[in-house]
Amino acid sequence: MVISPVHYIALPLLAAFLMPLLAKVNRELVRIIPGVVLTYLLFVSVVLMQRVTETGQPIIETLAGWQAPWGINLVFSQFTGFLVSLMVFMATLIWIFSYRFKKVDNEPALKYYILFMMLVTGSVGVVLTGDIFNMFVFMEITAIASYSLTSFYRDRDGAEAGFKYLLIGSLASTFMLLAILLLYTQVGTLNMAMIAERMHTVPVGMKVTILILFLTGLGIEAEMFPLNGWAPDAYSQAPSPVGATFAALVVKAGVYSLIRVIFTLFDIQGAYQYLIIMGIITLIIAEFAAMKQTNLKRMLAYSSIGQMGFVLIAFGIGTKEAVFGALFLMFNHAIIKSLLFMSGSFFVYNSTSKDIKGLSGIGKKFPYMGFLFSIGAFAIVGLPPFSGFWSKLYILIAAADESMLALVAIILLVSIVEIVYYFRVVAKLYFGKPTDKEVVHKPTFGGYFSMTVLAVVILLVGFYPDIITGFIHRAADTLLDKGAYISNVLSVGH
Amino acid sequence: MDPILYNKIISVGVYGSAIGLILIGLYAVLVKKHLTKIVIGLSIIDAGVHLLFIAVGFIKGGTAPIFSEKGIELVNQGTAMVDPVPQALVLTAIVIGFGVTAVALSLVIRLYRHHHTARIDHIKSLKW
Repeated sequence: MVISPVHYIALPLLAAFLMPLLAKVNRELVRIIPGVVLTYLLFVSVVLMQRVTETGQPIIETLAGWQAPWGINLVFSQFTGFLVSLMVFMATLIWIFSYRFKKVDNEPALKYYILFMMLVTGSVGVVLTGDIFNMFVFMEITAIASYSLTSFYRDRDGAEAGFKYLLIGSLASTFMLLAILLLYTQVGTLNMAMIAERMHTVPVGMKVTILILFLTGLGIEAEMFPLNGWAPDAYSQAPSPVGATFAALVVKAGVYSLIRVIFTLFDIQGAYQYLIIMGIITLIIAEFAAMKQTNLKRMLAYSSIGQMGFVLIAFGIGTKEAVFGALFLMFNHAIIKSLLFMSGSFFVYNSTSKDIKGLSGIGKKFPYMGFLFSIGAFAIVGLPPFSGFWSKLYILIAAADESMLALVAIILLVSIVEIVYYFRVVAKLYFGKPTDKEVVHKPTFGGYFSMTVLAVVILLVGFYPDIITGFIHRAADTLLDKGAYISNVLSVGH
Repeated sequence: MDPILYNKIISVGVYGSAIGLILIGLYAVLVKKHLTKIVIGLSIIDAGVHLLFIAVGFIKGGTAPIFSEKGIELVNQGTAMVDPVPQALVLTAIVIGFGVTAVALSLVIRLYRHHHTARIDHIKSLKW
């Protein structure tokens, strides 16, 4: 079998729809098949990344034999490849984490894994596709799977969170559809490279209208203010592995689509300033809201929104260093926030309430889990020996290079807020008075394994950032080189 | 009637009703308190956008974009073809809209069973 980017989309989708049949053969297959598929995709990632790095050229896959401007194509460049590999890596770890997950019995396990595979298909497809309408379709696949996963538990307020998410999400998708329609009437094509090429013929007023519709539609998944009302509810009501999935896959797909639209499709200068302003508002509001939260998962959700604001700021600065920092932060956010969600969920599971107050002294009962959570907390606020430090540092340097000193000040001030609320939790874990009422649930072996892997990655990248910076540098170069994207995509088959 | 005026009336009517549907749907989503009515509002918005798609791709007097002998003959005689892309997009969008509506209605049922009310202002166990 020839390894190609199509496998990223075809295999999880096939697995998702075959699983109800396979469940009839053997119940255990339901849990094993996603792992097999994801492990194979991890192998595909390694092979394709190697190929892309060696040749320096993106792999462009035309589907159904139609060449670029007419058919749908998949673009596996150093930028999209990096994001896709990150997503598949995280999805594999989340699968290991949720294998034999406590509350997932046999019957719900089938639904859970089907939706999980759909989520992987959708968010990987958003990143790989080179067609704007195809991106919309994958966005919707991701969104519908997310709505269902948010309301997965019947005994929680999941349905309420899911309905909120669905309301915002489906309005957003309507806006995106309108944007695609207007764009199509203006440029007469749906291929993103072709759109980028013909964009200069579109009148400015129309361009701004389309861009605003796109930003409204895509800002939802990217958790951009003021479209992020769904996030705290969804993160806190969804099963814990799903919280990690949102942080590692869904939000990444959202940010990717936002960046692709602004960086490749449109060439409006003001869009970058808009990103910075929205990023600052998102960052400040989310971090202060996080400080006020009493519920651990809601706090993590607000912190996640804040990090996305940070990413938007970095992309808004728009220089090579800033984009590098933004991609680095996306990578860090995926691994660190997943670790925090995974370890935090065990604390919540073992305490009487979901509140931070209820976590008092729990770090003494689970020393290892407390250690992992602390690593995550230290990494995300950006303490030196951890990976979070480097991304924050690079973004600050990039901002200082552009002499945006007010921005540097804001970021540093907000970091203090971040430190306050994360250290408050860590302090509660270790120095609080332990309550001895709780029933002790041990994490599964898979849970221990995936959290340990994440902690090791955080430390490794913290000590040797060079193992990852090469990939991120090339990814940033690829993203910024719009001309190469257009010529590479359109030259296939000519 | 004057054909140019007639065309104008028709196109204003089609575009106007598409935009009208979108606005009616938005009104329902934003103002109505009943969950089912909100879901209906979402469907109405979808319908408006789909109508807009079809209207954009339509060419007056154009033939169906099907690769057939009759079609080729008509095109050779100078008849234009209707743009097939918006129609393909609308088919996809309808299917997606159907999926979202189904999920939304199942969530409404779940919410009703959980809270014994379908009014959105009475369901507030999750606050900001």
